Amino acid sequence: MNFEIDPTAPEPIVRRDFLAKLSAASTAAWMSGAPQLVRGKGIEHPEAKADACILLWMGGGMAAPETFDPKRFAPYENGMAVDSVLSTFPSIDTSVDNIKICAGLENIAQVMDRGTLIRSAVQPDLGSILHSRHQYHWHTGYVPPQTVACPHIGSWMARVLGPGNDVMPPFINIGQRLEGVGEKEELKAFTTAGFFGSEYGPMNLPFPEEASQAVRPPEGMTNDRFANRDKLFRQLVERNPHREYSSDHQQESLMRSMDNAYRLLNSKEREAFDIEQEPKEVRETYDTGRFGRGCLLARRLVENGARFVEVTTEYVPFLHWDTHADGHKTAARMHAEIDRPIAQLILDLEERGLLDRTLVIIASEFSRDAIMEGKPGSEANDQAAHKGDFITEEKHYGLHRHFTGGTSVMTFGGGVKKGHLYGKTADERPLIAVENPVTVMDLHATVMTAMGVSPKTEFDIEGRPFYVTEDGKGKAVMDIFA
Amino acid sequence: MSLALFLAIAPVSAAEPSAEPIDFSHQIVPILKERCSECHGGEKSKGGFSINTRALFLDDETAVPGKADESYFIELLLETDPDYMMPPEKEPRLPAAEIALLKQWVNEGMEWEPGFTFGVPAYEPPLLPHRPELPTMTNGRGNPVDRLIDHYLTAGEHERPAPLDDATFLRRASLDLIGTLPAPKETRAFLADSAPDKRDQLIDDLLTRDLPYTEHWLTFWNDLLRNDYAGTGFITGGRTQISAWLYESLKNNKRFDTMVRELIAPPDEQSAGFINGIKWRGTVSAGQTVPIQFSQSISQSLLGINMKCASCHDSFIDRWTLAEAYGLAAIYSEEPLELHRCDKATGEAAKAAWLFPEIGRVDPAATKDERLKQLAELLVHPDNGRVPRTIVNRLWGQLMGRGIVHPLDAMQTEPWNTDLLDWLAADFQDHGYDLKHTLRVIVSSQAYQSASPVSQESDDAAHYIYDGPRAKRLTAEQFIDAIWQITDAGPTAYDAPVARGIVPPGMKQKLSFPSSWVWGPSVDRGLPLDGEKVLLRRDFKPAKPIRSAGIIAAADNAYVLYLNNRQIFSGEKWTDLDAAPIASQIHPGQNRILIVAENRGSKPNAAGAFAALRIEYEDGTDEIIVTDESWQVSETVPPGTRPGKWKLDELNWETARVLPNATWKKQTDANIGPTLATASVGSEHRVRASLVKADELMRSLGRPNRDQIVTSRPGELSTLEAVNLSTSASLIEDLRAGAEKLTSGNTGSRPEYLIEEIYLALLTRLPTAEEIEFLRSILGNEPSSDAVTDLLWALTMTPDFFIVR
Repeated sequence: MNFEIDPTAPEPIVRRDFLAKLSAASTAAWMSGAPQLVRGKGIEHPEAKADACILLWMGGGMAAPETFDPKRFAPYENGMAVDSVLSTFPSIDTSVDNIKICAGLENIAQVMDRGTLIRSAVQPDLGSILHSRHQYHWHTGYVPPQTVACPHIGSWMARVLGPGNDVMPPFINIGQRLEGVGEKEELKAFTTAGFFGSEYGPMNLPFPEEASQAVRPPEGMTNDRFANRDKLFRQLVERNPHREYSSDHQQESLMRSMDNAYRLLNSKEREAFDIEQEPKEVRETYDTGRFGRGCLLARRLVENGARFVEVTTEYVPFLHWDTHADGHKTAARMHAEIDRPIAQLILDLEERGLLDRTLVIIASEFSRDAIMEGKPGSEANDQAAHKGDFITEEKHYGLHRHFTGGTSVMTFGGGVKKGHLYGKTADERPLIAVENPVTVMDLHATVMTAMGVSPKTEFDIEGRPFYVTEDGKGKAVMDIFA
Repeated sequence: MSLALFLAIAPVSAAEPSAEPIDFSHQIVPILKERCSECHGGEKSKGGFSINTRALFLDDETAVPGKADESYFIELLLETDPDYMMPPEKEPRLPAAEIALLKQWVNEGMEWEPGFTFGVPAYEPPLLPHRPELPTMTNGRGNPVDRLIDHYLTAGEHERPAPLDDATFLRRASLDLIGTLPAPKETRAFLADSAPDKRDQLIDDLLTRDLPYTEHWLTFWNDLLRNDYAGTGFITGGRTQISAWLYESLKNNKRFDTMVRELIAPPDEQSAGFINGIKWRGTVSAGQTVPIQFSQSISQSLLGINMKCASCHDSFIDRWTLAEAYGLAAIYSEEPLELHRCDKATGEAAKAAWLFPEIGRVDPAATKDERLKQLAELLVHPDNGRVPRTIVNRLWGQLMGRGIVHPLDAMQTEPWNTDLLDWLAADFQDHGYDLKHTLRVIVSSQAYQSASPVSQESDDAAHYIYDGPRAKRLTAEQFIDAIWQITDAGPTAYDAPVARGIVPPGMKQKLSFPSSWVWGPSVDRGLPLDGEKVLLRRDFKPAKPIRSAGIIAAADNAYVLYLNNRQIFSGEKWTDLDAAPIASQIHPGQNRILIVAENRGSKPNAAGAFAALRIEYEDGTDEIIVTDESWQVSETVPPGTRPGKWKLDELNWETARVLPNATWKKQTDANIGPTLATASVGSEHRVRASLVKADELMRSLGRPNRDQIVTSRPGELSTLEAVNLSTSASLIEDLRAGAEKLTSGNTGSRPEYLIEEIYLALLTRLPTAEEIEFLRSILGNEPSSDAVTDLLWALTMTPDFFIVR
């Protein structure tokens, strides 16, 4: 395999350590298709602004006009015209003069001065507006289907940056079940390290309150027995008659993985997975539900060196943000679920001096609108439950269509400007981005740039270049950085 | 025409632009070579841009012939922003004179020397079969594979790998041919056997174990043909399985050429899933339409060609062109197909054609069915050496850990031993495309029966020297099968829609009858409870000795079915009919079926179930028990999942209410006969991991998500997997069951015997004296089940267990 290494190209120090310590898939090329990092002229990594990234994922399509981009408020009236509805919540002031957000997000409003709000994220028209496809796009930077298995953005960070400290899994995914929910296969298709191999895949923790079980001895096993078992394993390996293979790379990499696992399971960092160790009042502040507890877990993990953590409100078809009916009430419930924990997460990170080096992103696969499916000109099927022109029942009051023309992405910390607003959507329907549209590709470039990874970073897979942003063409929105 | 020649005669500094027309070879090539080709020529295509050919240069309007001012590359050359400028910031700027020449060249229409490319001329493998003469036999090693390899080793003065001991051979051959570990008894017998041909006997024995063979190789073929039981595409019916066809094909060792014919020109729906690919929802890029998937899939799976590049633009890495990718696609396409370069229509119509017209053509005027048949015949044409080379190389790779051509999907690459590949391919053809024949030839060779080398991580494909079979890590399926085997854990039901036994003709029809559903008393009242849950019960006594038995069930809408307090299966989808063979679990005396049926709908809805048990007696008669008035029902369901602890006598039992389930009847009654027939003749061989949907453990152990074709498995164990295996409570539970089985079977015997059994079961070898001594000190005379459980865990984590040498 031909690839040049430019000796002058700087390599993040963490990465070098990581390669030395971490296992297996990182180094092996004996099987075909092992992707190779291509480094050379033209790829220079920017200086990292953040060491960790937390993605707060609003799975199901969070309506920007119901959250971070309020429009004209139309209170519920029986018989009102559907097209009179832009927002179903009044707007409230925030700690930033020129930014108003929706009522229900009062706690987040108070921390707006810590971040940059992007109101002009846009999605492509993928024919039929499907959550899982847009989620795949958002999480990998590539529109599915693709001819190779694309890695999740967390896997990119795991692969290129490694963990923030050498016992922590670099990519931790909180709150999304991958079994027993609709579209689970579609979710699995992007919740993966893809061609990077499972070394860089997510550690999936669907239930934050059970996370500690993932890093402690099996139930019923004492710590002593656990330690003895590991000792026995090592003694057996030492006594193996085939000592000639002890320098074999496959054997070495296997031992390295076992070492890594044992180190994590005996580390002080493993305590980070146990949210029960937080004082009761802290837990109560966060505990609005699974998502809230996930935010607390994410904070503990980042404090202990996690690189990329995603916390999701969970995508389950027709639940949570996926409002095809009863949108107003559901959005109000979702506000209650996300508002307190997100604000507290920002305050906690700030208090611990971590916010400046932690990029927190609130995002969703697309926005919603009361009447428009897709964006102007789209031929997508209308998927709303109620298709009438007038609202005669309260359950029809809400934003029940998928809208891809303009959505909000909230960012905090990680070098972004404080109290800044970027981009704009129209004040009247269609609520499309009218200023500084940001594509998924450029958003990826922005996130990777903040993390110190060039948007042009590429790997050679099956003889082809594969870039962290499509064709290496993503351009970071530098205006959001301080 | 070589590049060196151009360079030799090119002027040192390019001439000024003039009225003279541009001379591409002498004025342009040197500039492009010096300034651009390092990143955009040969195998390099930074930013997705290659200048290898004129067509590639024009991609995305990077250059617009006749219009230098509209050509993006000229703009980049003039750019002053360091982020965008070309060449990149650190490189010197192009002198104005060179830019002027390039502009003139573009404005004059971008003349290009026909056939010229910045790409490296690639190795072109032969198409025709070749039957090399075998070198003289040395050292009495007569297997043709050995004669060829010995010749290679002698000629290159390479060391011959050491021979493999019996135990390691037994383990490797078992895992390679049937995917499971030999039982301790088999290992003892094999090690004690003094017959000189015992290895050949073993190979024959393994290859005739049709079911284990099938269920092992199913994994390889599912990967290669991207067949699975769940995945994207199924949700909207955009994808169909070929599982049943594949399973039958392997079970009967169907000729490979027949398999190819049935895959490419499917005689019925059973094998159609491969060419029909995946019809994804929504708009897909031009590079992923179903006809283009067809082009990519047959190229990769059957020809070892990466058509993924060429289905978007002429490939940068090999010789395949966009037109060729679309030519293949057009064989499949019902509609006229227009070429799309990088997702943009070119206005050119694709013409059905295949890649190697020298042995025959596909007639573009023929119907789709005829075109597919023609293609199938060309793929298995006697003069087509490519298809046999590709498949035998894959078999070699499976067995030897590395292909003769490497990677396996890159058959345009030069093999490390051309004669070996050619001989194996021709021998395969000459033996009726018999897969098992080729497996036998390879496994019988001394080459296969050699020790694996101590390998280093950097394996430079271009300088590979054969040094024996490469070690392999247990696949996800092998690892899980081994755990199930050691512990007797594992499921009784499976997901693959395949018949593990042989259904006699007429049996499906004979067993077809209308469904009969039973419910709780709430149906009398017409007022079911919210989320109603009922317990259904049927006791029975088999009349005579049993030959086989199977059970099927469904419920509205969720249920768990127990036989003699053991869970047989459960279901959550009311339209699904689950099935399992259960002969070994029926006792001669009293037996009991329990079904916990639950309606989990959001509204009050009755819970009901349908089940049918068929027992075939040894005298050929049979008995069918279905859900009817002979069943009892209780509206109280004891908590928990262990019916052995339920006090059934204390429940209030009533006669179950029989009421038809009309919608279900319409949708699913037709499946009763086939499902019950399959279940009641079904194999009670332990269910294999290859037959069940991938779970998180299997995925992290490297079972690919079969949305794409992935033909090789990881060689390592990831950190997260090590974490999972270290913390898994269910693994410990399984291993404890295994430990109890081992210790109870060995009461009273020497502790050494237990240690030996464990080593034989897991590592297929006897422990050394040192190991026995060490473990005796750990286990003591009366080993506790905890101690044995931990020993089993520790051994399964060792490289000795995980790595197949």
